[in-house]
Amino acid sequence: MSSGLLSKERIIAGPGFNRWLVPPAALAIHLSIGMAYGLSVFWLPLSHAIGMTAPAPGDWKVSTLGWTFSLGIVFLGLSAAVFGRWLERTGPRKAGVVAAFCWGGGFLVGALGVHLHSIWLLYFGIGIIGGCGLGLGYISPVSTLIRWFPDRRGMATGMAIMGFGGGAMIGSPLANLLMNHYKTATSVGVQETFVTLGAIYFVAMLAGAFGYRLPSPGWQPVGWTPPPAVASGMITARQVHVDQAWRTPQFWLLWTVLCMNVSAGIGVINMASPMLQEVFGGKLIGGVGALRDLADSDKVQVATIGAGFAALLSLFNIAGRIFWASLSDLLGRKRTYFIFFALGTVLYAAAPSAGRAGTIPLFVAIFCVILTMYGGGFATIPAYLADLFGTQHVGAIHGRLLTAWSVAGVLGPVVVNYLRDYQLGRGVPAADAYSTTMYILAALLVVGFWANLMVRPVADRHFMTEAQLAYEQRQAHEAGAAK
Amino acid sequence: MTKDSEQPRPSPGSWVLVVIAWALVGIPLAWGVSKTLQTAVRLFR
Repeated sequence: MSSGLLSKERIIAGPGFNRWLVPPAALAIHLSIGMAYGLSVFWLPLSHAIGMTAPAPGDWKVSTLGWTFSLGIVFLGLSAAVFGRWLERTGPRKAGVVAAFCWGGGFLVGALGVHLHSIWLLYFGIGIIGGCGLGLGYISPVSTLIRWFPDRRGMATGMAIMGFGGGAMIGSPLANLLMNHYKTATSVGVQETFVTLGAIYFVAMLAGAFGYRLPSPGWQPVGWTPPPAVASGMITARQVHVDQAWRTPQFWLLWTVLCMNVSAGIGVINMASPMLQEVFGGKLIGGVGALRDLADSDKVQVATIGAGFAALLSLFNIAGRIFWASLSDLLGRKRTYFIFFALGTVLYAAAPSAGRAGTIPLFVAIFCVILTMYGGGFATIPAYLADLFGTQHVGAIHGRLLTAWSVAGVLGPVVVNYLRDYQLGRGVPAADAYSTTMYILAALLVVGFWANLMVRPVADRHFMTEAQLAYEQRQAHEAGAAK
Repeated sequence: MTKDSEQPRPSPGSWVLVVIAWALVGIPLAWGVSKTLQTAVRLFR
């Protein structure tokens, strides 16, 4: 495959190109890498890959396998931060193709890891190589979509990032179907499923990457005129260099905004289903009594309801991505995050009261709204960055901001698990132990609230001069725009 | 910068491609959403 085929010059759209072809290309990539959230579907079968019917000596523990996902999220943030600048120079198609090789290839290496029963090879394949594919794939369409939809930046990036939330909805049931198909007396079917999924994701991501098109320099939607630049406005028409952006307070404020929103959200996702089961116990199946006092058959029923609750939350998570990101085009980004943090703080703090009051519908509704704002936080941040720093390096700046996700991926679960263990160790009843955790998560949102409130337009000295911008555009093979 | 009046509109045929492209990603997503809904319904039974 020649590098010319992947170069930026080859993907400049011709006159009359339909911009609505770009979001499905981005979705093809995001729906593929979104399977990262569904990897847990493999851990139980892999935990008895040797013993087949039950874990045997030498079998991996579920907690050991869970590190594959954590590694993937860490490498998502790292690769997005490191390769974002490269992406801006070489274009989204090349980045998308590399992401396809990493994510699809990561599954193949993971399959070899399962075949050889090497946990390190599994970590390396899906966690590290796949994680790099996640990072590159995640940021690959961001700046492209923002340039195609200057009139609806939030909606455009929201559509793609919705795909990341929806990937596991396709991947998990598909993986279950495949594992059942490949399962034999001597294999749990994971290895073969990895190979099949790797091939499917490779093809889907390649199709997405080859669907990417860039608007020609100066292109703008028919009938749309850019709003007049206001010196004190939150949307700039100028450009900040990626190496300068992280030296601005705005970058670190938005980093804090994302980190707090995601930490609180991950914390809630981890505890929502067990919290529902332990707070309401027998009431969920029309009876009475705490969860620990129920008969085994009743516990199974309660666990089934808990799984239904988790599924419902995942639907609200992806719906929030497109809903809030689109709404931010009308409200403005700062106001949107103001709502996330103000409403979020109230809802996190109110959830324990709804539990104590025994009102299941209110409890469920609170968590559903919280999850829309968790997803919305991810989907709205690229447009916030483009508003403040301009569109020239927004993909690379977004890549560096995603390190906040890596930190939140550790912070959220640690806060939840540590606090829970600490309280249970002090003799707090299981159902009550969640209340303090929810209040702590609400406190994280207060930090995010203040960070968002402090965001102001970027100071003049941080913007590129005309000469610097022309140089950057030449570097990015946009010579036409520099003239 | 290209002037607004110079921007050609997408051709009518391009909308067919748009429908096909959205169907290619929308159908698997709709399948995944329906599977998730089937699980979520357990909460309300």
